Amino acid sequence: MTDLNYGFKKRALRWKVVVLALFIMSLILIACELCFGSVYYPVKDIIRVLLGENIDGVSYAVNNVRLPRMIGAVFSGFAFGIAGYVFQNLLHNPLASPDVIGISAGTSTAAVFLILVLNIRGGVVSLVAMVFGIVTAMAIYRLSIIKGHFTYGRMILVGIAVSALLRAITSYLLAKAAEYDVGSTMQWLSGSLNGVQMEDVPALIVVVVVLTFVLISFTRHMEIIPLGDDFAITLGINTRITYSIMIVVAVILISFATSVTGPIASVAFLSGPIASSLAGRGKSSLVPAGLVGTVLTLGADLVAFHAFPVHYPVGVVTGLLGAPYMLYLLIRMNRRGVN
Amino acid sequence: MRKKNFALSMVVCLALLFIIAIFSISFGAKQIAFSKIIEVLLGKDSDSIEATVILQRVPRTVFGILAGGALGISGALMQSITRNPIADPSILGVNTGASLFVVAGIAFLNITAAYQYIWLAIIGAGLTAFFVYAVASIGKDGATPLKLALSGAAVSIVLGSLVSTIMLPDNRVLQAFRFWQVGSIGSATWDNISLIIPFLIIGFIISMFISGYLNNLALGDEAATALGTNVVITRSVGALASVLLCGATTALAGPIGFVGLIIPHLVRLIYGSEMGKILPLSFLGSGILLLLSDVIGRIIGSPGETEVGIITAVFGAPVFIFAIRKGRVKSL
Amino acid sequence: MGKHILEARSLVAGYDGNAIIKGLDLTIPEGKISVIIGSNGCGKSTLLKTFCRLNKVMSGNIYLDNKPVSEYDPKEISKIIGLMPQSPLVPEGISVYDLISRGRFPYRKLFRGMDTNDFGAIDEAMETMGIIELRDRTVDELSGGQRQRVWIALALAQQTDILFLDEPTTFLDISYQVEILDLLGELNRSKKTTIVMVLHDINLSVRYADYIFALKSGNLYAEGNPESIISEKLIKDVYGLDCTVITDPTSNTPMIVPIGKYHKE
Repeated sequence: MTDLNYGFKKRALRWKVVVLALFIMSLILIACELCFGSVYYPVKDIIRVLLGENIDGVSYAVNNVRLPRMIGAVFSGFAFGIAGYVFQNLLHNPLASPDVIGISAGTSTAAVFLILVLNIRGGVVSLVAMVFGIVTAMAIYRLSIIKGHFTYGRMILVGIAVSALLRAITSYLLAKAAEYDVGSTMQWLSGSLNGVQMEDVPALIVVVVVLTFVLISFTRHMEIIPLGDDFAITLGINTRITYSIMIVVAVILISFATSVTGPIASVAFLSGPIASSLAGRGKSSLVPAGLVGTVLTLGADLVAFHAFPVHYPVGVVTGLLGAPYMLYLLIRMNRRGVN
Repeated sequence: MRKKNFALSMVVCLALLFIIAIFSISFGAKQIAFSKIIEVLLGKDSDSIEATVILQRVPRTVFGILAGGALGISGALMQSITRNPIADPSILGVNTGASLFVVAGIAFLNITAAYQYIWLAIIGAGLTAFFVYAVASIGKDGATPLKLALSGAAVSIVLGSLVSTIMLPDNRVLQAFRFWQVGSIGSATWDNISLIIPFLIIGFIISMFISGYLNNLALGDEAATALGTNVVITRSVGALASVLLCGATTALAGPIGFVGLIIPHLVRLIYGSEMGKILPLSFLGSGILLLLSDVIGRIIGSPGETEVGIITAVFGAPVFIFAIRKGRVKSL
Repeated sequence: MGKHILEARSLVAGYDGNAIIKGLDLTIPEGKISVIIGSNGCGKSTLLKTFCRLNKVMSGNIYLDNKPVSEYDPKEISKIIGLMPQSPLVPEGISVYDLISRGRFPYRKLFRGMDTNDFGAIDEAMETMGIIELRDRTVDELSGGQRQRVWIALALAQQTDILFLDEPTTFLDISYQVEILDLLGELNRSKKTTIVMVLHDINLSVRYADYIFALKSGNLYAEGNPESIISEKLIKDVYGLDCTVITDPTSNTPMIVPIGKYHKE
């Protein structure tokens, strides 16, 4: 009887190996992100600078440019990855990630309004964008309830309508803006690490780390949720409270990361499915999804910076990367039938 | 189902359209009295400043009616062909498809004039509509509203990222594109209108001609075939007309969302599913809506203007949500 | 395993403010197989869902051991009452073993893996349902009957004294229907698990039930063991069907033979 769980243990081991591999990959990419830029600096110099030594030229580039960029990529990528996974998990649909259903659009509109119209930068933008992201999510949720009855399909449709509305407002703001502001705002709207400042970094780290732990405490719940609400309730989950907490936390993560880097396309919806196919479906793919988000963002940023004659913002590369996969998912989902 | 008097409704719509057209000519940076408008239009005054302003606003107004009508019929056709109440050029990703082709034209072919956009926009619109519908139709339950909307949204995201890729490195493209992208009828001139008129006329004629077949299509493919309708040909011809109409309009005006959704949807609610009634009423109704949105945009945005594409999205999204909430969309 | 009394007291429940269950008093007989019967829309599924907390109670309440269910910690209840829902979602690409392990949720602690109790419960559930051979297959590739056994095994891994099943045999071929019901009968005999289910087939209900609750438009029309309550009058009143009740030659339980329009004497 003891080896009936042999397969289970093998799958659990695979999960751990994948997490470790993704972690190591992240470290390698972090090193690359710090070493490569307009100029190459050896790892040795980077480490010396990080330990507080002052090396002419290197110190400035690393501390003021590459370090915030790297941290932005690591933590935003992680945030997009796990938040996207939470949405896909709750809505039982790999396409129901925040970028598809309009929550990112809410954050973007708020941020564009603050930056272009009110000329505000920095932490306030993050905060307001975050609040607006939560408001958008709540509005989409409320509008999908009819007579106390909620369906995921309706939520997705409402989300699409709301995001159309928000995008219209964003284009209006862009069309009205002074020409010299538009370039950088468009960059931000496509998702870019260029604008990450050192002063954005501490808040980003704290928010992502704390909320990640909150979500990790729900990993067992996330294994039950895909079975449907009936099982979730029978197995003792208080669905209302649990779902609300998870959604709010995911929205905060998405909005906060978006306010720092802009909506980096496709990372939120790519990470979950990639993580699940790597780590298997026996255990929750929350943490793997976050790591995949980090790897994707770092990797795409390196590609965006070095692979083309022009320096694209990272979101363009992730967008192109996500495109075929999104179509593939869509076709496969339609084959299986929605829900 | 309540059956409203069709002839009476047509007359009321025509009257409304006329009134709004007068408003459209009257409103703007310079307010012009109604009496003066009539005077100028009758040719009694052609030299004053007012006359010049009026003669500038007339093409915009005419184009507003045509563009609205074209989008309305295009939406009605799509809803009928796909048997799906939320089909609309913007939901089917047609706008982004047209955008991609136009931005590629600006960037790679150095296109600057509106007439050159037309073919690109029509081709982009057609390919995208076909693709989105094909993707949504995969699977055993066909193109359900949810699948169609998701497919449209996903394809739009995909095409949007391609648009960014082309646009971002080049400031010239960025500037040219961002004004087109908003959706406005402000740049209409008689020359432009005469360029797209052939496409619109062909589209209108085809759609009236096939309306009887579309009625049969509403009964389901099997029943339609049994009634002697060639389902494949009806669909293809209808789709062609729909794409000509929305593609040509989008080329000139940029993406204008939801117009093709709102009016056909309301018309269907009030008058039932008879295409012979839906098409003309959608034309007039959408013309009214677009022109009204344009006037509102000019009032809100004065001294400049708020582009009509923004106004229609602000109106349209709530109507879309209303339609979903009222349970018009089955299977949710 | 202890004894548990599960009962509904003046229960009113339904959807969207419409009462479908209109004031029910009933006690689930402990250690037996109960089947709720009634025509479509009579509220049998609603009743079952309300017992499992999937539906809000409008007035009255469900009591477990004389304490309203709403006053328990959900996790406590989920160790006592299990459910196999009518249409659970199949997560893509999950293996049978991993799916069944989800039933251990109420027993698991934060940041802790599964222990020997968990593994033991899963093994036992798989054995009871005869699906040990399938454990490392993915659920997507199983047949309808196999899948149904996996779902029941999930509910068994939960190790509850009371198990509800909402139409466990729908969409199955008749041979699989009998197979599932036989397995449930064995489970009831070997573990004394209280089983409550809704079945769409009246004759299978009568054959496998120790106790029947017959509902009619949201009210309890009759209850008792099949032999004592199943009658031509009951079938006429509950289902609106003319029938003859004979004795099932294989199980000696009552058997309903519909009459219909063209087969009257």
